[in-house]
Amino acid sequence: MNRFFSFVKVASFILLSVVFFSCHKNGTVEEITIKKNGNILFQFTHLNNGNELLFDTMIYRTSTGNQYMINDLQYFISGFQVHRAKDKWIQIVSDKGIHYIDAQDKSTFLWKVTDGIPPGVYDSVSFIFGLDAANNISFRFPDPPERDMFWPEILGGGYHYMKMNLKWKNNSMTDPMPFMFHLGIGQMYNGDSTNTDSIIGYIQNYFTIKSFSPFAIKDNQLTRINLIMNIEKWFDSQNAFNFSDYPMGIMQNQLGMYRACMNGRKAFAMKNEQ
Amino acid sequence: MMFVLMITILSSCKKKEDQTTTYTPTPYAIQIPLRFPSLLNIPKDNPMTQEGIELGRYLFYDGRLSGRTDPDSMMSCSTCHIQSNSFVCGIDHPKFKGGHPFGITGIPTSHYMLPMINLVWNTTGYLWNGAIYPGNPDIQSRNLEDIVRLVMTIPQEMYADTNRVKILFQQLNGYPGLFQKAFGSDVITIKNMGKAIAQFVRTLISANSKFDRFMRGEVQLNSEELDGYVLFMTEQGGDCFHCHGGDGNPLFTTNLCYNNGKDSVFTDPLDHYSVTKNSMDIGAYKAPTLRNLAFTAPYMHDGRFKTIDEVIDFYSSGLVWSPSISPLMHHLRTGGVQLTPIKKAHLKAFLLTLTDSSFVINPAFGRPAKLPD
Repeated sequence: MNRFFSFVKVASFILLSVVFFSCHKNGTVEEITIKKNGNILFQFTHLNNGNELLFDTMIYRTSTGNQYMINDLQYFISGFQVHRAKDKWIQIVSDKGIHYIDAQDKSTFLWKVTDGIPPGVYDSVSFIFGLDAANNISFRFPDPPERDMFWPEILGGGYHYMKMNLKWKNNSMTDPMPFMFHLGIGQMYNGDSTNTDSIIGYIQNYFTIKSFSPFAIKDNQLTRINLIMNIEKWFDSQNAFNFSDYPMGIMQNQLGMYRACMNGRKAFAMKNEQ
Repeated sequence: MMFVLMITILSSCKKKEDQTTTYTPTPYAIQIPLRFPSLLNIPKDNPMTQEGIELGRYLFYDGRLSGRTDPDSMMSCSTCHIQSNSFVCGIDHPKFKGGHPFGITGIPTSHYMLPMINLVWNTTGYLWNGAIYPGNPDIQSRNLEDIVRLVMTIPQEMYADTNRVKILFQQLNGYPGLFQKAFGSDVITIKNMGKAIAQFVRTLISANSKFDRFMRGEVQLNSEELDGYVLFMTEQGGDCFHCHGGDGNPLFTTNLCYNNGKDSVFTDPLDHYSVTKNSMDIGAYKAPTLRNLAFTAPYMHDGRFKTIDEVIDFYSSGLVWSPSISPLMHHLRTGGVQLTPIKKAHLKAFLLTLTDSSFVINPAFGRPAKLPD
């Protein structure tokens, strides 16, 4: 019995000490709880043909011979998971697992997730390009800049997965023309796609990227994972994209969005740094 | 003698103490309409109060703000910002021909007017060129408060001597007490004038148009309006929503600047390029809110379009190329969105559902029955 009370006394002392020093050092006990795990810092990088993406400069070319410049690039990434072997994974829940990136706004390039990740070796990261059906809820973002990604209700609602605004030209054109490479929920038309009365259904175009590159999470350490979007892949990796095939854009052209999204599956790469 | 002096000193102290204790402003909370942004542009050093708004409303309508008392040369915000026109002067204004205002000196303003609607939700930049924005390195060009000072001093508007304005208002019996209630000091400053007017302007909220009621499920749009709504919201229709919002952005503006393809040659030194020095912003201007479009003619920064029909015609077939044209103007290859006359009529019908008549007669936004003496 005495040994039990001694144990209780010692345990209480240790517990109180931990609480005291935790509070003293960090202000809250909760932070210490998180720090028992490691954290992840996602960094988003945008390249074109291996070099840093330059905006507003007509220096890029598709395999179909279209010259193009990128003017704007904004997109959502969501549903992050870090995977261990044997089908175990951890769902990132920080910010509801959704991150908005504007490739011209450096403040969006880093996303430090507050989820504590148990230490260990992980073999991959997966994420959803855009928003899945459960998360692509209209009016969920009332504030800019995410608000300005809204996708019209009549076209399926929710939000653009990505807005890539560009200008392009081919050899027969004098001046570069605008093109909106916008992705989101597609529509099935029973007839003319300019007539929304002929919409007979909607198609979720989001897709999951799983990137295998083992990385370790260590106690109290920040693991930096670099997610790279290779812009040129959107136009060339599987379906050679010719902008002149889509004179009205692709928001109301499911075939165009399908081809783009098939290419998009090859547009992302992962690199981890510790 | 000593007794009288003591009494005087004590009385002074008591008076000062009374003034301090009377500064108990009543907080004012913006009521956010359905699906409007939660993010408000209210500076930390100018929280909204009932007293600040009341004072701001008086100042907004007081022609002595120009520092002058002669009826011919008095000028207030309301001289040009007229409630019945959603706070633009209006194309039929008897003095400002064609809707282009000018200041006390007769010099016209650089641009035509923008409606003062829902400005509390503008977090990206005010004026046609977005020159007044949070984070501006020029700390005197960041918010509505700064615009008030600007308007008071430039020759295109009030061209006031600010010292004279302060002295004039300090001498008016009704104002020092209002400043005391609003800001805790009866000493009138231009800074506090700006704060008060900005507070009032932030209350100018429009959220009760037919379209708002439609989105709330209270009314139905007719078939023409519905067709216009679809045109507004589709890339292969009018494609208005990318710059002007819509069901997902009830402000009906992104508050961002675009070169919308009006010109191929640019001579205005006050476009968005003048702010950013990015060559892609040459000829770019704010996409204004489309709310209460019916009241806010003429349209565009230079007032070139007198009617909504002219604006729709322009977007339908009048676009011209320039190196800095916005990539959102993707119908450029065909000169525009190519609407038929029927489609144009339907789009206009929808635009008119953004009319909020209650806004232009709301007594809380109107001229006070009596200004402080």
